[in-house]
Amino acid sequence: MRIIMKVAAISILAMMAPAASAADQVEIKLQRFFGACDAQFGTNTDVSKAVGECGIITSLINKFNASNPDIHISVTNVEWPGYDQLNAQFAAGDPPDIVTVHESALSDYQTKKLLMPLNDMLKTVGITPDQFTEAAQVGATKDGKLYGMPIDTWSELFHINMDLFKKAGLVNADGTPIFPKSPEELIAQAEQFKAKTGKPYFVLSLANETALYMRDLYTYLFQQNSAFFADPKHIKLTTPEAKRFVEMYKTIFDKGLTTKNLDYSAALNAFLAGEGGVHLNGTWVVGDYDAQSKTPGTALNKGGYEVYPYPQLFSGAHQQYADGHTWAVSVKQRTAAQSEAIAKFLKFYFDNDYEWARTGHLPSVQAVLDSDKFKALPHRSTILAVAKLGHPLPSQVQRQFALQDIIGEEIGAAVTGQKPVDAALSDAEKRVNDLLGNL
Amino acid sequence: MSPARRRPRPIGSDWRNALFVAPYLFFFLALLVFPLFWGIWLSFHKADTFSDGPFVGLANYIRLFNDRVFLQSIWNTFYFVLLTVPTLAIVGLMLALALNSSSRLATVLRSLYFSSSVLSVTIVTLIWRIVFVPQFGLLATIYGWFGAEAPAVLSDPNLAMIGIALTTIWWCIGLPMMLFLAALQQIPVDIYEAAALDNAGWWRTLISITLPSIRRTFVLVLIIQIVLQFQLFGQSWLLTKGGPNNLTKPIVLYIYETAFRRWDVGLGAAASEVLFALILIAAMMQYLTSRRQEES
Repeated sequence: MRIIMKVAAISILAMMAPAASAADQVEIKLQRFFGACDAQFGTNTDVSKAVGECGIITSLINKFNASNPDIHISVTNVEWPGYDQLNAQFAAGDPPDIVTVHESALSDYQTKKLLMPLNDMLKTVGITPDQFTEAAQVGATKDGKLYGMPIDTWSELFHINMDLFKKAGLVNADGTPIFPKSPEELIAQAEQFKAKTGKPYFVLSLANETALYMRDLYTYLFQQNSAFFADPKHIKLTTPEAKRFVEMYKTIFDKGLTTKNLDYSAALNAFLAGEGGVHLNGTWVVGDYDAQSKTPGTALNKGGYEVYPYPQLFSGAHQQYADGHTWAVSVKQRTAAQSEAIAKFLKFYFDNDYEWARTGHLPSVQAVLDSDKFKALPHRSTILAVAKLGHPLPSQVQRQFALQDIIGEEIGAAVTGQKPVDAALSDAEKRVNDLLGNL
Repeated sequence: MSPARRRPRPIGSDWRNALFVAPYLFFFLALLVFPLFWGIWLSFHKADTFSDGPFVGLANYIRLFNDRVFLQSIWNTFYFVLLTVPTLAIVGLMLALALNSSSRLATVLRSLYFSSSVLSVTIVTLIWRIVFVPQFGLLATIYGWFGAEAPAVLSDPNLAMIGIALTTIWWCIGLPMMLFLAALQQIPVDIYEAAALDNAGWWRTLISITLPSIRRTFVLVLIIQIVLQFQLFGQSWLLTKGGPNNLTKPIVLYIYETAFRRWDVGLGAAASEVLFALILIAAMMQYLTSRRQEES
């Protein structure tokens, strides 16, 4: 009987041992977008082998978990941008600890006191705001404090099929593409391109898409020094500058200088299939397009692939709209161990900013941006300029994702001829101001 | 034992019987009645996702009816209901009439026609995106065989809603067909035998026997479909995001954008109440009209 009791006691202790170590582990809930790729990278901890946003972020988190047995980051993967789910979690009082938030969306949560200012937490692990690039600091700072740890800066870019550009005679003697310097030159070059290649100059995702219109509007308004958000609660779009932008895109559309009726994924596939010269898309596809250009038999492999910031078409400031991703931390009751674990994770991501920058995004850490290692990555010499040209909306402008829908809908209607340009701009202005006036 | 003692007690006299309906009643009150009244209360407040805000009276309703996008979404919803409900009822009835037999082929076809109904809206819209996508889609391929260019269904202002209606009819046709089949199988065979003895042809039998016998089911199908199709959301959101130029934005998508993407919960609640009233009126009108016809 005594032996049986001993065996039973040992068995119970043996069962409790792993339970005890699991209980010691600090559990941190992390929520992110950037897609799912568990089949390919679900267990990968060698970050150098990972490619693309999803591959790199998944591998980084795996590596953190593997090298910190006392901490477990449990990941919830949400569909981009994931704010509906995050709102519901905040409303229910059960937000994740760490969450991906765009710099343009930080104000929405910061004004509701749902996110922690991170300066003090970052200081405990030796990170200070001045270590970030200026673009990253401006984007993530609200009321003088960092409300998210910036992990990158991203922007729309001119992705170029060099084979078609050569055929169109739009290449300089040094092999670089020729860019327009005014809206008139843009139309003339696009017409020349179409005449010589039989294909449209632009490959744009215009079918029921709103993001591109909004980002390009902001970019070309910056380039005209338009103070369209002089007051963060009022937008001014019934201006000659905004009209000039819409009319430029309408001319491109009417003259067939762009693909039509393609949504985001169809436009991406059309560019990879060599259906046009310039694809307007973000920094996040640089890595994938570069890989395509190195694959024999692809359209981008024929004559090469190049990528540049937007050309300066107007006489104002040389700027383009930029945003960035951050890790934000929710306001929540936490133990000291949990706060330490979060700080440790943020430091880990900060230290691995180079790996994240391999996606094509520009690094948020100034030292990485300045490093030879980063500059040696493909195409960084051309897109590096975005770090200086990149310009967000004023940080007090709220509901920027909702504004994107409104502005994109109205400009899309004007460009495709479903609404007069003046009416579309007037409606966009009215709708945006109604939204911002009723916060 | 006396006969009086054997008589069972009337069911309604014991309050404990209410326990049988209590679980349902709890969920009905908690998940339907309470949100309904809470929604009405919110519609009179300047509420956002994280706070109830001050009382604003009818201000949300005034904003709503001054919003051209909302008025457009009401028209879009009615247009969609008009495109889908009669088609679902008529095609569902035709399929049921064609497949109302015990042959093996009819059984297989019944399963086939119903199979689309079990799919989620995500799968359904994915399938139809593959059909509609320009250049690479099924429609583009078929048009390509004849050297023609396929219409851009999902970005054409005249075709986008028709594309969504087509997707919805393909998805939802199973339920009306099954309801009609069930009704057809309830009609006594001897009526058809009597009609056959009177030399009534197929058309006469359909008009004089089949259709009057399934009249109630027809009304039921119409009411169910009106209520369902008024709530269009997933197909529009996943296929067109309400575009082009808000022409496929139904009321539910307007509510979603307003309440969840713009955090304007008060305005979204007001739009929800308008939708509730519209569905109620449409369903009641349909019900009262059919009842009046029956009485006359």
